[in-house]
Amino acid sequence: MTDDVKITNRGWESQDHASEMKSELLELNMGPQHPATHGVLRLLLQTDGEIVYKVTPVVGYLHRCTEKIAEGVDYKQWIVYTDRFDYLAPVTNNHAYVTAVEKLADLAVPERAEHLRIVTAELSRIASHLIALATFGLDMGAWTPLLYCFREREEILNLLERIAGGRMLYNYMVPGGVRYDVPKDNWVADVLEFVTMLENKKLPDYNTLLTYNKIFIERTSDVGIISKETAFDYGCTGPVLRGSGVKFDCRRDDPYSLYDRFDFEIPVGMGEMGTVGDCWDRYIVRVREIEQSCRIIRQALETLPEGPYGTLELKKPVKVPAGAAYSRTEAAKGEMGHYIIADGGAKPFRNKVRSCSFCNLQVVEKVGVGLMVSDLVALVGSLDIVLGEIDR
Amino acid sequence: MEAMYAFFMDTAGMDEMAAHITVAVIMATIMFIVMALCAIIFTWMERKVAGFLQSRYGPMRTGRWHGWAQAVADMLKILGKEDIIPAEADKPYFIFAPLLVLLGSLLAWAAIPWAPGFVAADLDLGLFYIFAVTSLVVLGILMAGWASNNKWALYGAARGAAQMVSYEIPLLLATIPVVLYTGSLNTQDIVIAQQGGVLNWFVFRDPFLFIAFWMYFIASIAETNRGPFDMPETESELVAGYHTEYTGMRFAFFFLAEYANLFLVSMIAVMVFLGGWWSPIPGLDFAPAACFVVKGVLMVFLNMWVRWTLPRVRVDQLMHLCWKVMIPVTLVCVVGAGIWMMASGAVG
Amino acid sequence: MEPKAIFDLLVEHLGEGSAEFREHDIEPWACVSAARIADAGTFLRDDPRLEFNQLMCLSGIDWDGLDENGKGKSTAILGYTGDGVPEDSDRIAEGDFGVAYHLYSHTQRHKFTLRVRVKRDVAAVPTVSGVWSTASWHEREAWDLVGIRFADHPDLRRMLLSEDWEGHPLRKDYRMPDQWSGVPLKGQPYSENPFTPDAPAADAPAGDDTPAEG
Repeated sequence: MTDDVKITNRGWESQDHASEMKSELLELNMGPQHPATHGVLRLLLQTDGEIVYKVTPVVGYLHRCTEKIAEGVDYKQWIVYTDRFDYLAPVTNNHAYVTAVEKLADLAVPERAEHLRIVTAELSRIASHLIALATFGLDMGAWTPLLYCFREREEILNLLERIAGGRMLYNYMVPGGVRYDVPKDNWVADVLEFVTMLENKKLPDYNTLLTYNKIFIERTSDVGIISKETAFDYGCTGPVLRGSGVKFDCRRDDPYSLYDRFDFEIPVGMGEMGTVGDCWDRYIVRVREIEQSCRIIRQALETLPEGPYGTLELKKPVKVPAGAAYSRTEAAKGEMGHYIIADGGAKPFRNKVRSCSFCNLQVVEKVGVGLMVSDLVALVGSLDIVLGEIDR
Repeated sequence: MEAMYAFFMDTAGMDEMAAHITVAVIMATIMFIVMALCAIIFTWMERKVAGFLQSRYGPMRTGRWHGWAQAVADMLKILGKEDIIPAEADKPYFIFAPLLVLLGSLLAWAAIPWAPGFVAADLDLGLFYIFAVTSLVVLGILMAGWASNNKWALYGAARGAAQMVSYEIPLLLATIPVVLYTGSLNTQDIVIAQQGGVLNWFVFRDPFLFIAFWMYFIASIAETNRGPFDMPETESELVAGYHTEYTGMRFAFFFLAEYANLFLVSMIAVMVFLGGWWSPIPGLDFAPAACFVVKGVLMVFLNMWVRWTLPRVRVDQLMHLCWKVMIPVTLVCVVGAGIWMMASGAVG
Repeated sequence: MEPKAIFDLLVEHLGEGSAEFREHDIEPWACVSAARIADAGTFLRDDPRLEFNQLMCLSGIDWDGLDENGKGKSTAILGYTGDGVPEDSDRIAEGDFGVAYHLYSHTQRHKFTLRVRVKRDVAAVPTVSGVWSTASWHEREAWDLVGIRFADHPDLRRMLLSEDWEGHPLRKDYRMPDQWSGVPLKGQPYSENPFTPDAPAADAPAGDDTPAEG
C-alpha cells in the first residue's frame, strides 16, 4: 500500500523557513502499532525533520464487514454487533440502531424505556468522554489524569453492569424498549450520587490537573485548527464540530428519543485559549458535555415514569415494512447514522453505517499538513477516534 | 579516605602507587554497587510514588511487603530476555551505546562527596569534572538512535541531542553563583562552605541563588530526560525514542543509567545548593552520609512528583524555554549573585 | 424547506427529465441521473436557498432484486455452509447499483436525499468528492465494498480491505473466500434466529404489543 503515495510538496509554501532548508522527505510509518494512534490506525507521514508535509491515514485493520453480517442476520440479532462499533460507548450505538429500526418499523416506545435509554446512553457518553480526556492527556504526556478518568469510568461500568449485565458490551436496547428494568437495589440513587460526585468533585479535579495546566494549554491551543467550513466540508460531527464553534447537536436540532424534553446546553468551542477550533476547544467541549450529560441524567431519573419498559416480547422478531430511511443520533463521538433499506423480510436488505470517527478522522489529511509530529499526535488525540467504528 | 590510605600503606605495607590503585578499585566497586542498588530502589520508588499520586497502590505482591522485590524480579527477568540486535543495525555502535550512557553517569559519581573526606576522587575541578563527563551521555543517546536504524529512534536521538546539549548550559550557569561564593570547584569545599544550619545553605544565601536553584532543578529534569521534558523518549509520539530497538540487558543499561543520572543530578543539587552532608540544624551532624542520601532521595521524590503531574512540552517549546528563558535568567543570577556578594561584603 | 420544494429548485437547475421525485412516508428522495450528480451536488451546496454544506452519508447499494422503489424480493446472500466452506451458486446478480446521498444544511436546517442508479455493467458514478470532501472516503468505501467505480475520484483505492482482496463483499452475489493470501479461512453459517427455532423468521407474527411488565 505504500507504493502509490507520491511525494507532494504540499505545505512547503506555508513554511517560511523551509524554502532554503528543503531536504529529502522522510517517510514515516506511524502505526498500526503505535501508542498514539488509539488502536490500529496507521498514519503514513512524510516529514521533514519535525514538520509533517503529508498525512495519509490507512484504516481497515479492524474490519469485520459488519454490514455484510447485517444482511445475513435479522434485525434484533444485529444489535450485538452495534456494541462493537464504538466499544467505548456501546449504549449510544445501540441507541442509534434501535432508533433507526423504530423509525422504519414505526414502533412506539414506552416512556420508561426512553428514560432508561437516555440515562444509560448518557452514562455511556460520559464514560467515552472520560476516556477521551484520559487518552488525550496521555498523548500530551500526562499520565495521572488517565488513571483518574479510568477510576471514574470504572464506577460507570459498575452502574451499567448492574442494569445491563455486561461491563463492556451491553446489548441493552431492543427495538421497542430496553432489555432490563432498573435493578431493585437502589440503582437510581446510586446513579444520582455518582453524577453529583462527578460534577462537584471530579471534574474540578481534572480541570486543575489538566485543563488549565499551562503546559497543556501551550501544547493544545492554536494547534490543529479545524475551521467551521472545513468541519462541514469533511463531515465532522459531534465534539469536533462543536469545537469548531458550531452549535449543533442531534439531540437538540434533530431530536430523537425524548431529548427535546430535557433542559441542557450545547457547549461549543469559543477559542478561549487560542483560536476557535483548536485542540483545546475540542477538549473543553468534552469536559463541558460531561456536565451537560450529568444534567440530563439527573432530569431523566427524577422524572422516571412508572410503566412497562418494552413493547415487544423478546422472543418475537421485529416486523419492518419495506422502505428505506436514514436515521441519525448523537453518539459520544458524533453523528452515528444508520441507513437501513428494508425489503419487508426478516433481514435488512442493506444497512449502511455512517460512523462518526470515520468522517472525523478524514480531516487529518487536510489539517495535519504543516503540523509538527507532536502536534499531529495532539490533533489525532483531540479527534477522539475509535477504530472499531472506523473499520466496522 | 585518609584512613584507607593509611591502612593499605602502613598495615598492608603497599607503596603509594599500589595503595592508590587498590583504593580506586574499591571505591569504583562501591560506587557501582551503590548505583545499581539506586536504580533498583528508585524503580520501585517510582512505581510507588506514581501509584501514590494516581490513587492506586503500585506493585504489592512480589516480596510480600509492598512489593519491595518487584524491581529485583524485573531486573532478573530483563537479564533473562533475548538480546535482539536488528539486522540492519550498525552493530558496534549499537552495542557500545548503552555502555557509553552508563559510563557517563558512573564516572560522575566519583566526585560526589558523601561525607567529610569520603569521596572517590577528590578533584580540585570536581564540579567541572562532573559536568564534563555527564556530557558523554548525549553521545551515547545519539549513537543508540543512529545505530538502531529506526526512524523513531533517530527522531528520539536527534531530539535528545539537541535537548541535552542545550540544557547543559543553564545547568552549568546555575551552579556558577555557588562557585563564586566558594571560590573553588572542589566538591568538598563547596559543601564545607555551607556549614552552620539551613540558613547557610546556598539556596537560602541570597535571592539569586534561590532562583538559580530552581533553574538548576528544571535544567536537571531536562538533563535526565524525564517528564515533562522526556523528548528523547516521548512514548506517545516516538514509540520509545532512542531505545526503541533495545531489549534485555542493553535496555537495562539505559534504564540503569536513567536512574543513576536521576540520583546524580539530585545529589549535585544537594551538594551545591542544599548543604551536602550538613544537617538542617547545626550541631546534629551525626550521620553525614545518611543526611546526604536522605536529601538526595527527597530531591528524587520531587523529580518524580513533577514527572507524574505535568504533561509533556513540545520540542520547540523546550528549546524556547532553554534559550530564551533559562539562559538569560541564569546569566542574571550569575551577575546578581556577584553584586549581592560585593554589596553584602561576603567577598574576599 | 420541504423536500418537494427543494426538489423543485433542483429540477429548475438541472432541467426537466434529469431528476425524479419519489414520495415516501419516512424519507422521500430525488432520483438523479448519474451523469448530473456532481452538478446537482454543486448546486445544492452553493445555492443560497439550500446551502447543503454537509454530506451526512453516502451509501453504495447493490439493488439486486429490488426495483427503484424498493419493491421486489431480495435473494439470499451467500454465506458459509455448516462445514465452514463457502456457499457457491452460479447465479449472477442482475440488479442495478445505486448510490444514496444524504445531505444536511447546517444553516437552513433541512435534509435531503439524492439517489443515483447505474446499470450493473457500467458500475460507475461521477465523484462528488470535489463538492464535499468527506465524500472521498465514503466513495472509497463504496468502491471497496460494493464495487462502484467513482469517475474522477482523486485517489480511488480500497478503503477497509487489503489492496489485494478479490471481489466486493457487499455485492449480493459475492462468494465468501475460502482462503486469503494462502491463509485458509473457515467460516461459520449465518445463524437462524435462536428465539424462533421452529417458525421461519420472516413469517413470524409481528409484535402484537404484549408489554413486558416494568
